[in-house]
Amino acid sequence: MPTPPTTPQRTTPPHRDSGLSRRDALRAGLAGAAAFASNMTVLNVLRSPALAEELKRGRKRVILLWLAGGASQLETWDPKPGRATGGPYRAIPTAVPGIHISELLPKLAQRIGHTSIIRSLNTRNGDHGGASVLMHLGRRDEPSLKYPDLGAMLARELARADSAVPDYVSFYTATEGRGNAVGRSGFLGAQYAPMFLTTDSKPNNLALPEGVSDLDHAQRGELRKLLSERFAQGRTSSTLASHNEAYARVRGLMASERLFDISDEPQSIRDMYGPTLFGEQTLIARRLIEAGTPFVKVSRAWWDSHGQNFETHLELATELDHVMSGLLDDLEQRGLLENTLVITLSEFGRTPAINPSLGRDHFASAWSATLSGCGVHGGSVYGKSDDDGQRVVDGEIGAAELFATIFQAVGIDHQKQYYVGSRPIPMTDPGTQPVNEVLA
Amino acid sequence: MTTIDPTNLKTTKEIGRPDILFCVAHLPDSTRLWAGSSDGKVYELDPMAEPNQLGELAGHQGFVTGVCLTDKHVVSGAYDGRLMWWDRDSREQVRSVEAHQKWIRGVVASPDSKLVASVADDMVCRLWNTDSGELVRELHGHQPNTPQNFPSMLYCCAFSSDGAQLATADKLGHVVVWEVASGNQLGTVDAPIMYTWDPKQRLHSIGGVRSVAFSPDGRLLALGGTGQINNIDHLEALARVEVFDWRKGERTHEFPGDEHKGLVERLAFDPEGKWLLAAGGDNGGFVKIFDVEASKIARQDKAPMHVHDFAASESWDSIYAVGHNKLVVWQFET
Amino acid sequence: MPPATAIARRLLLFGLSAVATCATLPAWSAAAARGEDLLPAETPVHEAIDRYIEQRLSTSDVTPAPPADDANLLRRTMLDLVGRPPTAGEVKAYVASTDSDKRTQLVERLMASPAFVRHQTEELNALLMDGVRGDVREYLSTALRDGYGWNRIFRDLLLSGNDQDVERSAGQFLRSRADDLDKLANDASVIFFGVNVSCARCHDHPLVPEWTQEHFYGMKSFFSRTYENGDFVGERDYGFVSYKTVSGQSRDARLMFLTGAVADEPPVPEPSEEEQKQEKKQLEELKKNKQPPPPPAFSRRAQLVEVALRPGENRYFSRAIVNQMFARFLGRGLIEPLDQMHPENLPSHPELLDWLARDFVDHGYDLQRLMRGILLSRAYARSSRWDEEGSQPSRSLFAVGIVRPLTPRQYAMTLRLASTSPDQFPADISPEDLDRRMEGIENSARGLSDLFERPDRGFQVSVSEALVLSNDDRTERELLRDSGDSLLGKLKTIEDPSELIETAVWNVFGRPPSPDEVQVLTEYLAARQDRPAEARRDLIWALLASSECRFNY
Repeated sequence: MPTPPTTPQRTTPPHRDSGLSRRDALRAGLAGAAAFASNMTVLNVLRSPALAEELKRGRKRVILLWLAGGASQLETWDPKPGRATGGPYRAIPTAVPGIHISELLPKLAQRIGHTSIIRSLNTRNGDHGGASVLMHLGRRDEPSLKYPDLGAMLARELARADSAVPDYVSFYTATEGRGNAVGRSGFLGAQYAPMFLTTDSKPNNLALPEGVSDLDHAQRGELRKLLSERFAQGRTSSTLASHNEAYARVRGLMASERLFDISDEPQSIRDMYGPTLFGEQTLIARRLIEAGTPFVKVSRAWWDSHGQNFETHLELATELDHVMSGLLDDLEQRGLLENTLVITLSEFGRTPAINPSLGRDHFASAWSATLSGCGVHGGSVYGKSDDDGQRVVDGEIGAAELFATIFQAVGIDHQKQYYVGSRPIPMTDPGTQPVNEVLA
Repeated sequence: MTTIDPTNLKTTKEIGRPDILFCVAHLPDSTRLWAGSSDGKVYELDPMAEPNQLGELAGHQGFVTGVCLTDKHVVSGAYDGRLMWWDRDSREQVRSVEAHQKWIRGVVASPDSKLVASVADDMVCRLWNTDSGELVRELHGHQPNTPQNFPSMLYCCAFSSDGAQLATADKLGHVVVWEVASGNQLGTVDAPIMYTWDPKQRLHSIGGVRSVAFSPDGRLLALGGTGQINNIDHLEALARVEVFDWRKGERTHEFPGDEHKGLVERLAFDPEGKWLLAAGGDNGGFVKIFDVEASKIARQDKAPMHVHDFAASESWDSIYAVGHNKLVVWQFET
Repeated sequence: MPPATAIARRLLLFGLSAVATCATLPAWSAAAARGEDLLPAETPVHEAIDRYIEQRLSTSDVTPAPPADDANLLRRTMLDLVGRPPTAGEVKAYVASTDSDKRTQLVERLMASPAFVRHQTEELNALLMDGVRGDVREYLSTALRDGYGWNRIFRDLLLSGNDQDVERSAGQFLRSRADDLDKLANDASVIFFGVNVSCARCHDHPLVPEWTQEHFYGMKSFFSRTYENGDFVGERDYGFVSYKTVSGQSRDARLMFLTGAVADEPPVPEPSEEEQKQEKKQLEELKKNKQPPPPPAFSRRAQLVEVALRPGENRYFSRAIVNQMFARFLGRGLIEPLDQMHPENLPSHPELLDWLARDFVDHGYDLQRLMRGILLSRAYARSSRWDEEGSQPSRSLFAVGIVRPLTPRQYAMTLRLASTSPDQFPADISPEDLDRRMEGIENSARGLSDLFERPDRGFQVSVSEALVLSNDDRTERELLRDSGDSLLGKLKTIEDPSELIETAVWNVFGRPPSPDEVQVLTEYLAARQDRPAEARRDLIWALLASSECRFNY
């Protein structure tokens, strides 16, 4: 009878788990540092030389500009002027000779040196729900396994253990498509669940409750802690420990409430982002990552222009142009851009064919995303669609490759494994290759 | 003398095309047309001839959204912000003017053919000398941004039949009537229902006044657009027309629509001012005729396509309509 | 992936795990595998549990923790059986009782109460319907009240589409999954058989040689003819599942159960296009008239029920629920994870699992009997404190009680009761009145329970929860209000600080305060004499938000 594998529990009591158990050491030895099995509950990982890399990586941040509803690649990053599918807008040259983007993005055209445009996404899913899930998880979902999304994985890899700022903040304040936005930490646990802002640009429950003074709030928290520590004596349980860890973060998070308040930013900075809600939230994103939040997602809904595609993109692409340019300039001026990755992404693109309402419909066969900043080969284009934008003719990639590239850009090994029970779950599906041409 | 019978509107010719035609001009006493296309060209067409396409004027980039005829020329405007003059017979381009910094939405000639008016998303209407191509006047009366801080659009303009006034209409439903000779504002009307800003679901806007027309006596001003929309991803509200006594600033007619959704892209009063013809569409097309005096619909029908523009012969015996993948001829049987 | 690489990967993973195994295979596992030497069938359930567990403790040379004290055990038992902690009065009465049989009487009394049906309905509904819309509560209420066996519940839930006699609400199990047959097959497999084969969809299971694609598609086949038609779920007479192997070969799936048993089915020709069109029309009509579709002549789902319960094949079915119940009450299953009950994953106590499974089947799949047995065992009653030197023994020994997070409803109920004045539960209140009052509180606590997440394996409390309890209006409004029926209101009437502290701690924790707690709390109040109302409120808050309330310990 073969020796059975013991099924390692995901919840290893902290006092027993020193971060590198014998099993982990064996795995690391067998498959190299890249296969270092990450135990989900271990945060204080200051015990291995391989982790110096991890520390360095800890400075990286990611801002995802989620263009919900499906932004048109033809009215943004991959214009086809003069073609029957091209629409009314022209293409303009950018700061890099040979690269042209839509005339709706003139400011970004000047700043293209920071950006790598990917024009060859083929993701085969034109349904808002399914495609959003795919582009959030980097893979197809599975019925019985809760994959974490990009934000949770990046928070997990980039966050500091006792951070006083949130690890993963997600803005989605329009109502359309919010249910597809699937911010979830899955098997990585509640610690990496997003702080999800839906009604307001400020999180709930960060303010003192009415009638409770700051002093009393702090001191009752201390009393709670005292009582709980007494209770925890002799009781070893990581779920029990998580209870007190959660409360330990409350005061720090409350202090981070000021990060969500842009009123103390100078008007000149606010103007860089513009007066719209998307602009304001992107400015908040900069404040958050500057304070150490590793991942912020700012959703701009709703690009789903089945009718009046050109009017809609006139508004939304113009806004994106201003907001993202403001963000890149602001990050650069603060010396943050080299450690911050800015992503634009939707669930899919839009049809080359123009319908009678002058709209474009869902299209996943040849569409675009961009990466800017940290780890990116700026001023580049990867992949090609055909003359009418109907299909990819060069460099076709899917969600997995995009995710692998994102991970590599911020110094994470995209094949790093998580474990659920005995089942290895690499961060991207096995065999996935990042797009090296996009990376610096 | 027209004796059109709106109940007898018939499509007598339907020509399929691979492109979208946004504008059309008709040469009086002929069946010759010039139509601006999504492919950047102006096509010279004769729907009664075989083949129907007689020639093309190439030079613009982007959708050609306005075309008009002057004594000798065809003048066209497009999303490239340029106005181009073409010799009607030789089809040569005689002039190209950088008329606007942004996308031109409409080009009309004054009734006496001396002026050409162009409107664009730089929110300015410019008047040009037809012969010299020189800028005569600029009319600034529309806000560049919406109250929600997004770039606005200046969709259409129309001269009164005596050429003394010009109306310009924008995304917000704001319409200005100008005195052509002086450039002064004579009055304004507003149709805010035609502009939908969605603050909750999708956080952008749709709509606008897409067509405008003076009654022959100059008293009334008709505006065409669509109603308030819930799901702004689609043109899902009913097509809408409002008519104003513009000097008094009073609305005289409201046609909120009961059938046919979409935008009213073009409006025109018949020469006697009895009927108001409206055409437009969403994924399909429609044509409607309103009885002005009775203030009700005389007839409404599906059109073979989403109509972007039409031009009537002088006697209104033929209406040439252009739009999505089609050119059609309508006739009223008297 | 080409076959060679797939095999190599399997071996690599398998080999890695084998190398990394820390424990050697105990001698008793081999015996269990041979089905030998089980305790006699007449052994009471709780005794069998204790004998096997203590046997392994002894061979591991581990002395287990002592039993939890009465107050602790009462709280644990009540939370598990009726979903709420005891009132201070109930604790005092139980502790004071000198009846040697009080524990058994307690369990019997609780299991006979209406609150038991309510709570177990919730727990079973969560097991069956987690993550899908709708619920089967109405059906479960009846099933629990009338003592249906788990086999009957299984049959009812899977066949409600075909059987007109089964209560409508049972049908929700199928209805909420009928549009995703993969999910239906996998959920049924996880819930009823403890087996998650979803990764075997694309390739043979990397760790389990016995689980192949054939097994996954076999399970799927049992459900492949199921479809939804309006409000009803139907089942066709025809249709096969085919799949592609890793090497690219196309195969038709057989009706194969996890044990390898293949169900026979009569050959059915695929209907012609015309026949399918007719059928479609007929279904449209039925849908319009809100009528169920006709049952099939041969039902694959009924076959699954038959095979799964057949003597010789029913070990997955019986072991899965036994394992789940064990995990629910003891904090850990005999096999972990709960959905990996495959031949390579050995139980911590193989004979115990076999014995319990046998007992379960022999007594008509009686859930109540199983629960009673677990709750009356010494293993269940162990203290969750480990005060010995050195690190805690492995959880798989069940040497010490495992701390378990409360479900949202349990937690909401705990918080609500804890913040309710003790005067609401006078000593002379009749059991019926008490139950009525409790049911009222359960209902009104529903909103509060929505604020908390349902704990899954390896549950981590989120910082959002901490923020809710620390700062949300709702917490202030529902738990810290000053009114005649609230704890805060009651404390207002108490002058003496030590009496105040006694009352508060008894009310929230269901036990007397320890001397050091008395000291800390006295100091806390004394330092706030300028704001006594806030001090009382914050004292209550600290008690409510502490870990002691959050967990079943």
